[in-house]
Amino acid sequence: MAITSSDVILMAHATSGVLGILSAMWVFVETLNAREENAGRIRKAAWIAALCMILTWILGGYWYLHFYPLDRALILKGPWPFAHTLFMETKEHLFFVPLILSFYLPIAASDKLYVNSAARKMVLCVALLIGLSGLAIEGSGAIINHGAKVALLQSITGRGR
Amino acid sequence: MNTENEKLGRSSAGFAMAASITILFSTALAWAKDAYKPLNSFMDALAWHNWITHGLADVILFAGLGLLFSRTTWVERMVPSRLITFLVAAVVMAGAGLFIWYAVF
Repeated sequence: MAITSSDVILMAHATSGVLGILSAMWVFVETLNAREENAGRIRKAAWIAALCMILTWILGGYWYLHFYPLDRALILKGPWPFAHTLFMETKEHLFFVPLILSFYLPIAASDKLYVNSAARKMVLCVALLIGLSGLAIEGSGAIINHGAKVALLQSITGRGR
Repeated sequence: MNTENEKLGRSSAGFAMAASITILFSTALAWAKDAYKPLNSFMDALAWHNWITHGLADVILFAGLGLLFSRTTWVERMVPSRLITFLVAAVVMAGAGLFIWYAVF
C-alpha cells in the first residue's frame, strides 16, 4: 500500500469541506430552535464552520497548486475534458462563496438570535447557502475525480469505459 | 417571521453587505482574468498563483468593506429582508454566472 502526501491532502481537503458543511447545517438546525440556552453553541458551531472552510482553503489550495497540474493534463487528454474546463474552473472560483459566507457566519451569529427574528433569518439563509454551495462544490469534486478515472481507463484500455 | 420591524446589528448588517459585494466582485474577477490573460499573469506574479491572489483579494475586500460599513449607519438602516435578498441573489448570480461562463467560453 502506497499512500502519498498527495492522497492524504486530497482526502483531507474534501473531509474538512464536508465538516464545514455539516457545521453550517448544525448552525441551521440550532438556529431553527434558537433560545438563550443554545446561543453559545450556535456561535461555537459557526466558528467551527469558518475554521473548517479555512482549513479546506489551505489544504485544497496546496493540493491544487502542487499536485493538480498532472491530473489536469490527464483529464484534458481523456474523454471527459469538461471535468476540468467546466467543473474544476467553476469549483475553484465558486469555493470563494462558501469561504466568504463562512467568515460572515460567526458575525451574523453574534446577534441575539433568540430575540431577533431578522438576525435569525439571516443566519438561516447564510448557513443554508454554505450548505448548498458546499454540496455543489463537493459534487464537482466527484465529477473531476471521475474525469481523471475515465482518462486513466482510456489510457489503459484504449477506450473510455 | 416579521423581519420588517427588527434590525440586524451594525456589524452583522455591514458584513452582510460586504459579503454580497465581495461575492459579486469575486465572480467578476474570475470572468475578467479568464477573458484578459495579462490580468491573469499579473495576478500570478503578485502572489505566486492567480488563485491565491484572487482569494486574498476577496478576503481583504470582505474585511475592508465589512469594517467600513460597520462604522456607518446606512447599511444598518436597511430593511434586513432586502439585505438577505441581496446576499441570496449575489450567491445565485455567482453560481449561475460562473457555471454558464465556463460552459460557454
